[in-house]
Amino acid sequence: MKIDCTIDGKTLTLSLNSDKPLSLILRENMGDDGAVNHCNGEMCGLCTVLVDGKAMLSCLVPAFEIRGKTVVTFDSFRKTRNMKDIEKAYEAAGRFPCSECYASRSLIFESLIEEGITDEEEILKELSIVRCPCMDPEDAISIVRKGIEIRRKRNVRRTQLA
Amino acid sequence: MYEGLSSPNIHTPANLSEYASIILHYPASSLWAGGTFIMSRPDAYPSHRMNAEIIYLGEIEEMHRFQRNDRFAEFGAMVTLDEIMSTGKTVLPRALIENIQTIGSRLITRRATLGGAIAAKDFTTSFPGTLIALDATVEVRFMKKKRLHSRWMPLTRLLDRSGRIALPPQGLISRVRIAFSDKNCQFFSQAGSFMLAPEDSVSAAFTASLDQDILINPKIAITYPLHGICYSRDIDSIFSSLRFPLDDDEENTLESMIFTFVESSFPDISPLQKTRTRGIMRSIIDTLNERSLTSSEEE
Repeated sequence: MKIDCTIDGKTLTLSLNSDKPLSLILRENMGDDGAVNHCNGEMCGLCTVLVDGKAMLSCLVPAFEIRGKTVVTFDSFRKTRNMKDIEKAYEAAGRFPCSECYASRSLIFESLIEEGITDEEEILKELSIVRCPCMDPEDAISIVRKGIEIRRKRNVRRTQLA
Repeated sequence: MYEGLSSPNIHTPANLSEYASIILHYPASSLWAGGTFIMSRPDAYPSHRMNAEIIYLGEIEEMHRFQRNDRFAEFGAMVTLDEIMSTGKTVLPRALIENIQTIGSRLITRRATLGGAIAAKDFTTSFPGTLIALDATVEVRFMKKKRLHSRWMPLTRLLDRSGRIALPPQGLISRVRIAFSDKNCQFFSQAGSFMLAPEDSVSAAFTASLDQDILINPKIAITYPLHGICYSRDIDSIFSSLRFPLDDDEENTLESMIFTFVESSFPDISPLQKTRTRGIMRSIIDTLNERSLTSSEEE
């Protein structure tokens, strides 16, 4: 099956099995085996990617569902201004995720910051998919809140300049 | 790595009449809703079936609709659990909200759909049990004489003898209607993870109105993911014949009656499932006892 999609800013036409999980596409077809895990649907949370700006588990997304969609992995996301905001939030909170869950947590934080979610319960629920115990819940909440604040300030500055 | 071995054909109908014509041509097709259950199986990829046909329901617009009036909420089967939470958190029955909340992260609820949660193949999620306890009705579309027919029916009518949801051949659930319940006792409890450890998990949904120490219209459904739903009107009527609070003897008798039924329906459930079921039953009875004592004190 031919699938047109945009992965990490590149517009691609891939010839794939229609039910191939996105996590395997990224590892085998895109060579992104460092940042994306393939847990065979065990929902480890370490295969998170952004599909049209929303965090998703790539092991649950079949190839036919990414037709015409934009997929962003941590590999390209880490070079963006949005990641800089999240790094600033990590510094402000004085906590960084461990190397194992850094990519997936950062992408989930991005999804939460973009949606402007400040509710403690919702933040913790969204992050509960990552089972790595390297971060306290309070730290995660403060990172999201700090991230929203930093993003808002940057957006205000940008509109003032425009 | 496995490309070209057995790539299934994907059909994406835009409406139900297109679905009808596809299912007529490919009667052995598999239906694909959110895909969370299918993709989480260890042998999901590569597909073992050659020339498999998949009908993806995500493009059918009428199955994404949500409407409500003062009596009920009606969801299209492709409405995601996350959308249900965001549209109806304040008005929907508590048991359903608690059920969705146990799923956890929105990374999963954003993809899991109501219809898929009810009609998952060879697996029972916690949702049908909760919907049975809430007297939900579903619209089933099915093929008859080469035409797509529709029928509303209570979810209990779809339960087969083994406690699984059984749809007619080539049938699908298109809408789910959930009444706004005025029942003042609603519980949902789950022990274990249905997706990660289905052999040891159990969930139970209970709804009733507690009025002057008597339960009116009680309904209880216990779900074992690999076995099915344990629901019986006989158990409901045992509950309605009781006067709360129960003493220890009455509690033990009730528990053993329920267990006799559970064990006769599902003799293969694991010891952990039995212990967990007992724990959930105890907590439901304790809460009912507590409620009845509190209400009698208030009076």
